[in-house]
Amino acid sequence: MSNEEIIEKINNFLVEEFETDPSKITPDANLKETLELDSLDYIDLVVVIESNFAFKVKPEDFVGINTFQDFYNYVIDRVNTKELV
Amino acid sequence: MKCALVTGGSRGIGRAICVEMAAMGYYVIINYKGNEAAANETLALVKEKGSSGEILKFDVASKEEIASVLGSWMEANTDKYIEVLVNNAGIKADQIMMFMTDEQWQGVLDTSLGGFYYVTKQVLNAMLQKKYGRIVNVVSLSGLKGLPGQVNYSAAKAGVIGATKALAQEVGRRGITVNAVAPGFIKTDMTEGLPEKELVSMIPVKRFGTAEEVAHAVGFLASAGAGYITGEVLSINGGLYS
Repeated sequence: MSNEEIIEKINNFLVEEFETDPSKITPDANLKETLELDSLDYIDLVVVIESNFAFKVKPEDFVGINTFQDFYNYVIDRVNTKELV
Repeated sequence: MKCALVTGGSRGIGRAICVEMAAMGYYVIINYKGNEAAANETLALVKEKGSSGEILKFDVASKEEIASVLGSWMEANTDKYIEVLVNNAGIKADQIMMFMTDEQWQGVLDTSLGGFYYVTKQVLNAMLQKKYGRIVNVVSLSGLKGLPGQVNYSAAKAGVIGATKALAQEVGRRGITVNAVAPGFIKTDMTEGLPEKELVSMIPVKRFGTAEEVAHAVGFLASAGAGYITGEVLSINGGLYS
């Protein structure tokens, strides 16, 4: 999967799962604020990542993820790591 | 295929719950710790109800066994989805606190409270992904009222009640309900040897309950129609304590 495909997939499931206006999702926007995530919403976020990309997410993975770009980078990194294994 | 996993399903209340799950059309995974013959008898009863199932041996007090046996089962059976989890396995090691050993304390906590945690954790992820699940924890009158000679058991069951209420709030949004049933005096191996005559005089319904009566309540909470009931503890005690 190319990086563009991964980003598109992420944006699609974020819009669907969190009912977010697609125009608000930009690389520099703040993930938590844009999606209005509270701590329980992270359950939904973890579930959609795991079901879409088939890797395990750890709570500490979210440390340092502020913007959508951070989030894309994290998922891309994990997807690529998994493919190498 | 939709499955129901019942821990401690080989005998007593667990067996009756397995039969109830079979009557509801579930493929029943009957967990047991040691008594394979009894587990197979339960499986035969499940089949009599026109359903199917299998026995699965692991000790709920061992997180390693849960991960290796139940975890491997889930990996090998991706066509089967555990939609209902009944955390029923429990042990008693009654003793007044003054004489209680550390092993009696820890053993009871490991099975009831630890078992709830590790087994539920193992199956919860799939329920979250499917956006549907029913978790029913079999607790006890002891966990609500506290019973003398059962400081360990009362603590473990009260712990599970707290966990039931907390988890219900975490996963409600994803279609998963978490409830508990709290049986009082029920006619099983676990209540054998108790002074029945003396106890019955205190119970408004004037008898011990049956395992089937507990199973009926579990079946209700596990049903799709009970989707708006969560974080609840349902007493099944003949009016002894409410």
